[in-house]
This record gives sequence, C-alpha cells and structure tokens, in this order.
Amino acid sequence: MPIVLDKLTHIYQQGGPVATTAIEGIDLVIDDGELLALIGHTGSGKSTLAQHLNGLMKPTSGRVLLDGRDINAKGEDTRRLRFQVGLVFQYPEHQLFEETVYKDIAFGPKNMGLSSEEIDERVRGAMDMVGLPFEEIQGRSPFEVSGGQMRRIALAGVLAMRPRVLVLDEPTAGLDPRARDLLLQDIQRLHKEGTTVVMISHAMDDVARLATRIAVLEKGRLVMEGPPEVVFGRFEELTRMGLDVPQGCQLARRLREIGGPQIPDCYLLESLADSLAAFLKGGGGDAA
Amino acid sequence: MLRDITLGQYYPVDSPVHRLDPRTKIILTVLFIIAVFMASQLYLYVFILGFLSLAVYLSRLPARMIIRSIRPMRILLVFTFILNLFFGTGETALFRIGPVVIWQEGLMNALHFTLRLIFLVMGSSVLTLTTSPVTLTDGLETLASPLKVIKFPAHEMAMMMTIALRFIPTLVEEADKIMKAQTARGADFESGNLMARARAMVPLLVPLFVSAFRRAGDLAMAMEARCYHGGEGRTRLHVLKIGRGDVVAFLVMAALYLLLLLPRWL
Repeated sequence: MPIVLDKLTHIYQQGGPVATTAIEGIDLVIDDGELLALIGHTGSGKSTLAQHLNGLMKPTSGRVLLDGRDINAKGEDTRRLRFQVGLVFQYPEHQLFEETVYKDIAFGPKNMGLSSEEIDERVRGAMDMVGLPFEEIQGRSPFEVSGGQMRRIALAGVLAMRPRVLVLDEPTAGLDPRARDLLLQDIQRLHKEGTTVVMISHAMDDVARLATRIAVLEKGRLVMEGPPEVVFGRFEELTRMGLDVPQGCQLARRLREIGGPQIPDCYLLESLADSLAAFLKGGGGDAA
Repeated sequence: MLRDITLGQYYPVDSPVHRLDPRTKIILTVLFIIAVFMASQLYLYVFILGFLSLAVYLSRLPARMIIRSIRPMRILLVFTFILNLFFGTGETALFRIGPVVIWQEGLMNALHFTLRLIFLVMGSSVLTLTTSPVTLTDGLETLASPLKVIKFPAHEMAMMMTIALRFIPTLVEEADKIMKAQTARGADFESGNLMARARAMVPLLVPLFVSAFRRAGDLAMAMEARCYHGGEGRTRLHVLKIGRGDVVAFLVMAALYLLLLLPRWL
C-alpha cells in the first residue's frame, strides 16, 4: 500500500505579489517497508513535501494517493489518515505540553478515541520502542528531562498512534552525538520491524547508513532518486547543489586523486575500511 | 491559517510623507485631531478633507486603504449617527413621524460627531500607514523623553514596544508550526462547542508560552552579552532630524488652523 505523489505542486500565497513555488511537479512513489531519505539544500522544499504526506498541507495542484485514494478528495477523513501517516516535525520537543510524560504520549491515542487500556498499552509500547524507562519517567514533567529524552518523548507521542508510515523532519538536528546515535538506532529498528520511514536529513553519513532509497530535491523539483550507491555515485552533481556526500565517498575519491589506492566509492565508512584492508593485504600499488 | 494576521499596517513605499520625521507626524496627527474637533460649521470639514486628501496624495497611499480603515468602526459610526439623530433635542423640528421628532440640532450633532470620528480614524491611519512601527516607537521615545524628569521610563517603554512588535511574526510562525504538529497527532481545533474549543487550545498555548519564555530568556542574554544596560548614554544609529519637509508640513498645518479659526474672528 504505497504512497503515490502525482505531479505534486505547492505554491505559497498563490496569486499574491510574493507567490513562491515550494515544490513543483513531484512524481514519487513511497513503497511499503522502505526507508526513504529526502535530501536537498535548505529551502529545496523537503519540509513542504513532508507536510503533504499526511494532508497537513493541501497541494496547489497534483494529488497524494494513499492506498490508491486521493487523501485530499472531498469526503476523505483526513483525521483518520493522520493516524496512519505519523509526522514528526523538526524540533518536535517544542510541541510537548502535558503535565506528565505519560499524558503527553497518550495525547495522540486519546484523540483516536481508544480505550484507556489500549492507550496504556500503546504508551508503554511507544516508550519501550524509543528506549525510555517507563516507571522512571512516565510521571515526570516532560519539561524537566534532558533534551535527547524530550525528543524521544515527542517521537513516542507519534509512535503511540502506531502509524504505518513515519515521516521524520530532521530527527537528529541539535542532538549531541550520543543522543543522535540512540535515536538513529530507534529509527532503524522501527524500519526493520516493518514501518515505512521517510526521513529528511542533512547528515549524509546517517543517510548512507540507514536509507534504502534516496530522493534529492533541488529548488522544489525532484532531481535524483535511487539507492544510495547510485545517488552518492553522482558526486559532482551533489556537490554542485551544495550537498555533502558521505565521508567514505569523499575519502575514496581523494585517495584516487592523489594516486593512492584505487578503490571504488564506498558510502559506508565500514566498507571503505574493508576495501582498504583488502588493498593493503593485496600488497599495495597494483590492486584496482 | 494564522499567517493571515497582519499587525501594524505599515504600507512601505517611498514618499515625502514617509520621509517626514516620526515626531513631526505624531505631533501633526495630534494637531489634526484637535483641528477636527475645532470645526464649528459643517462647511469647515471641506478644509479638513482637503488637508487629509493632500496628505494621502503626497504619501502615495491607495485611497481605498484609507477608506477601508474606517470599516472596523462602521457599527460605532452608525450608532453614533442614529443616537444623536433620534435622541438629541433642540428648538427647530425638521419633521416628526408619530412620537419621534427629528430636530435640526440633532441632525447637526449627528453629522458633526460622525464626521469627526471618520476623520479621526482616517487621520491616525495615515500616521500608521506611513510610519514603520520601529520608527514610530523611536519618535514616541524621543517625544516622551522630557518626561524622564518625572521618572517616566520612556526608553524602556519604547524598547518593550519594539521587542513586542519584532516578535509578533515569530510567534505567529511558531503558533502555526505547533498547531500543525498537534494536528498531526489528531488534535482538532475547528469543531466542537465553545468549551471543547477552549480546551483544544491548551496543546497550542502551553508550548507557545514555553517557547516565548525561552525566547525572552535568550534575547535578554543576547542583549546583555552586547552590553545593553538601558537607555542611559545610548546613542542612535538613525538620529532623528527635522528637515525642510517637516517645516513645510507644520506650515500647512498652521494654514489649516488659520482657515478653521478665521470664521470665529470674522
């Protein structure tokens, strides 16, 4: 049951004096079970695109299809749809508001009209998924825990709705390395357990490690799309757009340029290490 | 949804009126309002209309913006007119419908008060449309600074106004974002009765207040880091200067006063 974007276009303040086209003619299919990374320069339309996936923004033209049904068609229950496509905004901890962590995470399930037993189960489940100790933290105020924990509480608040698709807008922005790694592990586990994930990110090494597919936006248009090895293989184009490539690719390229070991682009540092090791064991200079 | 809110209605074009010193414009607006109340005969409003038209013409504001400025007042205007018309008493009855008498004095009063209100609102609109909020607070600060003698905190007032105005768009944007985030969690801001709607605002207002306090703390820190310690000894980037245009503007105002006062002396 994929999400299909069909010639999706959004123009801010259409007809006004400062009309700006945020995204234009996007055709994209998000398949079940994939982890799609959306990358692109600031202002390339990534966040706008993300907000179309659960009907928070209405396209100026084009359609968003979930299970083959236009989510913006008249008579569609957009609220029900939002429980299926969970959207985690940038800095989601800014949306915490309840007295206790438990109540905040329960906000989504409560809006779904679930029974209190079901809500309880979901809150516990969601906290477990993001590695928050239930007993220790559930009764505390969400404003008195650490920044990384606040982020995970906010994420749990969306996960508690058990969405089939999880859309994350720069989930690791502003986190320290440890909190970042923990969060990325959570995301990876969710994906392995079958949740479709769409993730906006600027951290190319994270993208290289997690994504099964990458879509590149530039000035509101979809300019590249494919598995990581294909997209990161187009090094020059990405650099020209002002985007990074993973360190593995950069290092391999640099080594080739200076006439060092001629190893192929490896977008993961681990596989680069393997290639280098194989090269060194092979006795230096001759290996391809 | 929230982005449509516009506060402060500055109309940014370049014109002789826009370039006037804000202090001149504030004083002239006050003088204009006094002038409006000095008009003792109906025909004198022609001069006031003439002055206002001149100001609007020179400021290159679209006339419909000025006319639109009285729209929020329309109910008050109608009430003012009707109340004065029907409940005034006088000596000359114009006509009577059953028990209701329309007096000539009542009609005159009704016209006077309605016209005065219209001109009052239009006149102050010219001020806010041609002066950016920051310039306006600058002008107010300078005008109020003599009051420092009686411990009136002119600088602090102006700084607070400037900061408040500066953060309105930021907070609107923030509110929009939080609203969307809660909507994504199934919050419903648009349906239900009054109580349900009020309760639905909690998930919006709590994060908004938290973020406003955080921003206020950050701003205070940033201001202190740049050695802000109040208005004492503080110099300005844009020093207010009275130019030739300001003198001309005052002369035109003097002419208006002359026209309004002449009939009293003759």
